[in-house]
Amino acid sequence: MTPLLEVRGLRKHYRVAKRGMIERGQSGVVRAVDDVSFVLQAGQTLGLVGESGCGKTTTARSILDLVPADAGEILLDGRDVRPILAGTDRTAMLAVRRRMQYVFQDPYLSLNPRWTINEALREPLRVHAPQHQRDWDGRIAALLETVGLEPRNGVRYPHEFSGGQRQRVGIARALAVEPDVVLLDEPVSSLDISVRSQILNLLAALQDQLGVAYVYISHDLSSVRFISTHVAVMYLGRIVEIGAVDEIFARPRHHYTAALISAIPVPSPGAVDRRVHLRGEVPSAMNRPTGCPFHPRCAAALPICREQDPALQPMGPKTQAACHNPA
Amino acid sequence: MDADLVPAASAETTPPRRPPSGAWRQSWHRFRRNRAGMIGLFLVVLVVLTAIIGPFAAPYDPNDNSAMLRGAANAAPSARNWLGTDRNGYDVLSRAIYGAPTALAVGLGAMLIASLIGVLVGGVAGYIGGFTDEALMRGAEFFMIVPVFVVILAVVRLFGIIVVGTALERIPNLNLMTIILLLGLFSWPQIARMTRAEFLRLRHAEFVEAARCIGTTRREILFRHILPNALPPLIVLVALGIGGAILAEAMVSFLGFGDPKSISWGQMLFFNYQALKVAPWACLVPGAAIFITVLGFNLLADGLTDAFNPRLRA
Amino acid sequence: MAGQLAPLLAVEGLKVHFHTRDGVVRAVDGVDFQVAPGQTLGIVGESGSGKTVSSLALLRLAPPPARIVAGRVLFEGEDLLRQSDKRLAQIRGRRMAMIFQNPATSLNPILSIGQQLTEILRWHTGVSRQAALDRAAELLALVGISDPAARLRQYPHELSGGMKQRVGIARALLCEPALLLADEPTTALDVTIQAQILDLLAELRQRLAMSMVLVTHDMGVVARMADRITVMYAGRVCETADAATIFNAPQHPYTRALLQSMPRIDHSYSGARRVLPSIAGRPPDLLHAPPGCRFHDRCPEAAPECRRVMPREHLLAPGHSVSCLRRGSPGEDAP
Repeated sequence: MTPLLEVRGLRKHYRVAKRGMIERGQSGVVRAVDDVSFVLQAGQTLGLVGESGCGKTTTARSILDLVPADAGEILLDGRDVRPILAGTDRTAMLAVRRRMQYVFQDPYLSLNPRWTINEALREPLRVHAPQHQRDWDGRIAALLETVGLEPRNGVRYPHEFSGGQRQRVGIARALAVEPDVVLLDEPVSSLDISVRSQILNLLAALQDQLGVAYVYISHDLSSVRFISTHVAVMYLGRIVEIGAVDEIFARPRHHYTAALISAIPVPSPGAVDRRVHLRGEVPSAMNRPTGCPFHPRCAAALPICREQDPALQPMGPKTQAACHNPA
Repeated sequence: MDADLVPAASAETTPPRRPPSGAWRQSWHRFRRNRAGMIGLFLVVLVVLTAIIGPFAAPYDPNDNSAMLRGAANAAPSARNWLGTDRNGYDVLSRAIYGAPTALAVGLGAMLIASLIGVLVGGVAGYIGGFTDEALMRGAEFFMIVPVFVVILAVVRLFGIIVVGTALERIPNLNLMTIILLLGLFSWPQIARMTRAEFLRLRHAEFVEAARCIGTTRREILFRHILPNALPPLIVLVALGIGGAILAEAMVSFLGFGDPKSISWGQMLFFNYQALKVAPWACLVPGAAIFITVLGFNLLADGLTDAFNPRLRA
Repeated sequence: MAGQLAPLLAVEGLKVHFHTRDGVVRAVDGVDFQVAPGQTLGIVGESGSGKTVSSLALLRLAPPPARIVAGRVLFEGEDLLRQSDKRLAQIRGRRMAMIFQNPATSLNPILSIGQQLTEILRWHTGVSRQAALDRAAELLALVGISDPAARLRQYPHELSGGMKQRVGIARALLCEPALLLADEPTTALDVTIQAQILDLLAELRQRLAMSMVLVTHDMGVVARMADRITVMYAGRVCETADAATIFNAPQHPYTRALLQSMPRIDHSYSGARRVLPSIAGRPPDLLHAPPGCRFHDRCPEAAPECRRVMPREHLLAPGHSVSCLRRGSPGEDAP
């Protein structure tokens, strides 16, 4: 079955020329997204996890051409849409954009402060359905209700709402064009903890109702576990492990995944310490270690890990990991 | 998650207590609470009203020097001439009133020119970036390096000489217009830089990215998202610039390079400073007028800065 | 209270109000907690709960428009709120030290690490510059920074987030304080670095027999680090108990609801219907604080009186106190 969304070999490298007194005359390449591939079916959620600098946000942005990728294919129903997004044919571009939308992390910054909520929701309708102008108001009201806001508050401005409510508006805006895929970048990280569960529930319910697929980016593994069907773990621009959510969490094969999962403090005092202790810190993206990028910090590193960069290999029916010495 | 030291007051969304307020109205509310800003606004309104209504209410024609014929030049303030007369027998009050529209014309005219050029140049530089940006900014720097004042003096004098005997001479207030044009031409770099900075910042703003995600055209993004959000700091610069332009014209005129046929406060100072000991009111009045006007615009700019950038204060 | 020892720190009735143009925000409105010697108290709550303001108020570090309007902070026999600024300056950094949330902004960017650390040492103990540098290097090694001598000459921007936070910890420990205040020390850090820093703190408090107050919104962090936990909401304390009780048998409706609403990393959600038991509504506007219990509008067990009467803290069981009318707390006479 042709997947709804398939990303193949996505790449984004930044050239950095470093001048100045601190790092004299070094220049290098930051491999922000380095050959990332994954597959997503309708109604599924891929959780994209990793720490800062791993490239998860850049990946999502590249998929929507907010950041132009250097190479790779983005297949919607089997057809490569990357050239369309970057191209000049506006009609074709709009047809693609209609199917993939984005929810931003910061609910304060992702809405134009000088526009009312109604105006913010009207924009996607204006761009994609200009001929149905008469139906816009009804659609906006329906959208607000779907995300749990009262339609009559649409005349208000973003600053009059709380963070959780603004995030609901952001979700409503993404859903306005009835997309097939929604990429969400840390949608609950900026929200109060007592409000996060509301938004997570909303996202889950919307997915059940509308059959939309999510790419859910987060560093908060517990919310990822809740919302995802599959998980991809990124490190220094690569996917190091990918698979079904329960498999990944119950039995991580890559040592970084294991460290990441074990590093999250569990809200149960006296829980058994299954910590995988990592040495050192994430290396600068410019000084990427040879061989496996994770080997300097890995307690299970073998000599081969320093020389050969492992490729993703199947580790079971539902997971793949890039490791010479998997757990 | 940053823990705010002062928890923000979250709004009610069930029964609204007050009508929805956009960002502009919110800024206005904040402005109203700023005392300095309100004083500035009051002063500016005062000057504007003087400029509009004054000429109809002035007691004398500003060019009426009949007092000289009566030997009442340099007369102290009296019931007849509330603020006295000056060296040429003009009524000081009337001339001061007529100076107001001149000052405003200078300020607004110069800033209009500066804004048009500045926003265009800065906007293009900020939005397009790259080589265009570099080139435009070097051009702006050229205008900033040039010693503005000296150039204005030189050009005005030169222009004045060239024009003598030609048809251009008959254009009223030509000299003044030259000054306004020059002031505008040398004030645009500041506005351009601010515009550029705002455009650079807003280009990467998340709500702009959201618009790109949706597929909004570049032009719509520019005019409906970026420009309205770039306006606040520009408005502040313009307010300050108006005050600055008025002051600059006053200086130019005071040095004798102004337009002798126009009635401006600087001109009044130029005519009357030699008689300072004998008729101080003839200089104090225009001096005070300049002071009040420039102060007004500066306080207004202060108030606007605070209104657009709310900070929490006890 | 743990044991018969007198508490090292006892906060009673702390009230911190913000006098803003829009009105008075009662950010901390009558808060009590204690820390016994050698114990770690976790203060947990979301943004707006008043936890950060409380911790800052202990050392009178909350900037205006914050004003401490009531309460006592008893530390080593003195009420810190009644001491002179001079006395407080002697205590800060020496007997009670603080580490902050954002390591990037809590270090002075224009001074080298060595300069910042030695400055503190010399101010408090008057030792020579070389002795101060040696001590600083010792502490950098203690917090797990490699090559301390070289680090002393570096500037904050040359260090990673995790390293900066280690420096922050070293700075706090320079004079061997009896009590360490940590305000969200790991929130700004990556998860694996967070784990390293928490390990470090756990080890240090053991080694130096130090008490700690750990302020955070992360329940997992307090589960790992705290002996006792105080749960705060909207400027008031909901519940205080030892860690096991809070997690296994919480009594306050907010604590219960919060724990239930959090997705768990050790729990599978691949079932038919994924729903987290969530808390309706959102934290109250402290500018117009309701007269009664601050949680009543979101509480699944709220009774009519909860809206009018503010519950007072009362002891449910030894070492376990709760502020809830529905759990038997008496009302406060005045809010």
